[in-house]
Amino acid sequence: MTIGEAAGRLRRRRVSSAELTAAALARIERLNPPLNAFITVTAEMATARAREADKELAAGRDRGPLHGIPVAAKDLFWTRGVRTTAGSRIFENFVPQSDAAVVERLEAAGAVPLGKLNMHELAYGVTSYNPHYGPVRNPWDTSRSPGGSSGGAGAAVAAGMIYAAVGSDTGGSIRIPAAFCGVVGLKPTYGRVSRFGAIPLGYSLDHVGPLAGSVRDSALVLNAIAGYDRRDPSCSRYPVVDYVPEEGCSIRGLRVGFPENFYLERLHPDVELAVRGAVARAGSLGAEIRPIRVPDIEALNAVGRVILLAEASAALEPHLGDRGRFGADVLALLDQGRLLPATDYIQAQRLRRQIQHEFEGLWSQVDCLFAPTTPDVVPRIGETVVHLGGQDEDVRLATTRLVRGINVLGFPALSIPCGLNGSGMPIGLQIIGPAFGEDLILRAGAALEDGGVGIPPCPVKT
Amino acid sequence: MRDWQAIARGLGLEAAATEAVTAPLEALEREFRPLAADLPAELEPALEFRAGEPE
Repeated sequence: MTIGEAAGRLRRRRVSSAELTAAALARIERLNPPLNAFITVTAEMATARAREADKELAAGRDRGPLHGIPVAAKDLFWTRGVRTTAGSRIFENFVPQSDAAVVERLEAAGAVPLGKLNMHELAYGVTSYNPHYGPVRNPWDTSRSPGGSSGGAGAAVAAGMIYAAVGSDTGGSIRIPAAFCGVVGLKPTYGRVSRFGAIPLGYSLDHVGPLAGSVRDSALVLNAIAGYDRRDPSCSRYPVVDYVPEEGCSIRGLRVGFPENFYLERLHPDVELAVRGAVARAGSLGAEIRPIRVPDIEALNAVGRVILLAEASAALEPHLGDRGRFGADVLALLDQGRLLPATDYIQAQRLRRQIQHEFEGLWSQVDCLFAPTTPDVVPRIGETVVHLGGQDEDVRLATTRLVRGINVLGFPALSIPCGLNGSGMPIGLQIIGPAFGEDLILRAGAALEDGGVGIPPCPVKT
Repeated sequence: MRDWQAIARGLGLEAAATEAVTAPLEALEREFRPLAADLPAELEPALEFRAGEPE
C-alpha cells in the first residue's frame, strides 16, 4: 500500500493510524531479527503518536498526506530523547536534546516515527556492513548487501516495515540502497532540505532526502521536508513547489539526455539491458531521447573523493584519538583524509567549480539525464571486489562510480527500480536534473512508473 | 608522487595500518594530480563564505 492509498483509507475511516502503526510494529518485530534494519525501535512513542494522530483527524485537524503514516529516520538524524548512534560506537550513548530539522518537519506533517535505522558506520561506506550494530541484510536476498550507507532505510521500506524513510546521501547513500533494495530514493538539490541535526560526514556533499515505495510517495515526503532553515548555512531560499506529480503526468517532449560516454562503460550486462529498456519506454511515452556526451565524470569522482576525505576527517577529528572505536574500513578512510594536504582540498574545490561550469552548457541541451544508478548487481555481504568489464574493481569505488559526481555538483537525482537481474535482484535507473529541478525528475519518474517501468513487490526472503 | 609512507609515519600511524592508507592515496593521486596541474590562477575554489550578510 502506498502512502497515498493509506492516507485515503485513514480519511475514509477504513483504518486508523493506531492500526497502521501496530501492523508496522508487528512486521518490524517479525522481520527485523533477520534484516537488522533498525538499531532502535520506539514502539511506545510511536503508539502514543499514532493515537494522537487519530484524535487529531477525528477532530478535523488534518496535517496532510503524511498524517498518521509510519516512517523512520536513519540513525544519524538527531531525535530528542532517543539515542542517535550514526551507526558508530563514538555516538553509542549520544541522546540529542533536540530533533533534526527533517525529524521536526516529518512530525509537523503528522508522520509517526517508528525508530532509528541501521546504516554504514558514520555513513562512510556503501555496504551497511556495520561492525558495531551488525550488518543490514537485503530483503530480496539476505545473503546480499542492501547497499548503503542508508541500508536500513532501503531494507525497511522494501520489506514493508515503514512507508517511507529519510536518509542521507554524501556519495550515493540514498540512491545506492534504493537501487539495491528496489525502492525509490531521491537525493534533492544541495540546500533544498536542511541538514540541521544530521551528524555530518562531508559538509559540502551531504544531502538529506527520502526513500519510499513509489515516486509519488517520495514526492510527498519531499513536500514535507523541503524548504529554508536558517540553522543550516547551506540551506536555500529558492521557492518550494508542490513536488507530487499529477496523475497521468506526461513526459511528451521532455528532452532526455542518454550519455554516450562514461555512464554505460563497465556495466553488468543486466544493468545495461534494464536501463536501455527504461530509456526506450520513455521514448515510447513521448520523451525525446538525445544521445549526449557528458563532462568528465571520472574527474568529478576524483574531486569528490578528495573533498570527502578532507571534510570527513575534519568532522570526525575530535574522535580520532580513540581509534579502537572505529571499524577498520572507516578508520582507514579517516587516516587517508588526515594525510591529504590542504592544497589538494583547495584544488579539488577549484576543479569542482570548473566542472560545474561545464555542466551548465549541458542543461541547455537536455532537461534531464537517464543513467544507471550502479554499474554492478547487488554484492554479497562481505564481498570487497566486483568483476566488471573484464576488470576487478573495489566494491566501494564501483558502487559509487555513477552517483558520487552528482553530489559534487549538488544536482538532484532520483533512483527508481527499472528491472531485475538474472538473480532476481533489483536494478536502479538514475534520473539526474538541473539544480532545483526536483519537480521535473519526479515527473519523469512518475511517468515511467505509470508507464510500467518497475519491478514486482519485494518477496521478503528471510 | 608524494611519499605517502613517509607522511603516514610522520603522522604516527602504525606500520600495520599504513598499507590500507597509503595504497588508496597513491591511486587517488595518480588520478587527481594531472587534473589539478593546469588550472587557471583566476579559478576560485567552490567554497562559500559570507561576511555577515544580513538575514
